[in-house]
Amino acid sequence: MKLSLSTAAAPGGELDTFDEACRARGLEGIELVIGPGDDVPTLAARLAAARVRVVALRVETLDGIPLADLARLSGALSLPLSLPLGIVAGISLTDLARTFTEAGGTLLLGFATDLDQVLAVTTALRETNAPPDVGLAWELRPSSEDLGVSGAVLLTARERLGLVRLYGGGPEQRDQDGRGVGPLFVDLALSGYGGPIVLTPSRPEELPRWHKWLTSKNVVGCGSARATGEMELDVRDVEPKDRLGTILGAFRVLPRGATLHITLDHDPSCMYYALDESEPPGTFDFRKIGDGPEVWHAEVKRL
Amino acid sequence: MANLELDIRIVPPREKHPAIFRTFDALGAGEGFTLINDHDPFPLRRQFEATRPGQFQWTYVEEGPTVWRVLIEKSKA
Repeated sequence: MKLSLSTAAAPGGELDTFDEACRARGLEGIELVIGPGDDVPTLAARLAAARVRVVALRVETLDGIPLADLARLSGALSLPLSLPLGIVAGISLTDLARTFTEAGGTLLLGFATDLDQVLAVTTALRETNAPPDVGLAWELRPSSEDLGVSGAVLLTARERLGLVRLYGGGPEQRDQDGRGVGPLFVDLALSGYGGPIVLTPSRPEELPRWHKWLTSKNVVGCGSARATGEMELDVRDVEPKDRLGTILGAFRVLPRGATLHITLDHDPSCMYYALDESEPPGTFDFRKIGDGPEVWHAEVKRL
Repeated sequence: MANLELDIRIVPPREKHPAIFRTFDALGAGEGFTLINDHDPFPLRRQFEATRPGQFQWTYVEEGPTVWRVLIEKSKA
């Protein structure tokens, strides 16, 4: 499974800079969005020269971009090309399949979390005996879709699923809390899916947040000390990967007898286990206060 | 069986641990999955020890600096 980021998160930027930022973030690849201004026939050579880790290609529109050029690029780079199902609605599946098979490319038809749509497209693929060069890309929009049907959608699409495109994740991860992302990715894991997962901004308004997320390395927690040496720490705006460090750091500078009051958006039990693993026995007293469902509090007293 | 992978980096904070335990609980004896995360999930290992003692094996496959991979297997009955 490769977690990747779409260049849609940083439109107009340099590819190697983008790839480098993704690397620093631990992302395993990038999805290259091809626009009407790109010269598709020369892209393969340019990408080879840039040595970036592209895992998939993407087009949102076919205006001014010949499909045959895209198929050849996909074949030359051995990378799948995904596009929204709607933009090829006027072309027969047989013709699409032939174009990509002849060029040695792979086409992934993007579908929404919509059971009727996925049933229609999988039936059409089966009835036309479409070769494996034509597969499916799941366009997953947790912020606006009902993921209640995602189990059935996964079951239907599973056999031809070559890509999952998640509109969100990254800096939008917390906004999608309770929208069904957790259970869906459990189902995806249990189904044995090992293909790419591409993150992409859910809407253009989110671009500044993605830019900040991609360029910042460390996020500092927002702790505030009280006069008594007590400390309040709200880690809800701290990235998950930086939370343990923030809390352990705050605990270590706490005077003896003082208490760290923590506010979180998840069950704080893991923080207890982190302290238990990292600190000498008998140096802290941990108390969980309340039990969600959206906000949790915990108190850590330094003994 | 196929090598199962759960990339927990995408899952919202509140749903991370429930998702991991749900995946583990769905496995059969002797099966496993690879957990992928952006930080060392060592507290999770302690939580596994506390809630599922003797029922799992924990093997680091990759240890940072940006990505951690842990193979979590369910012990044979």
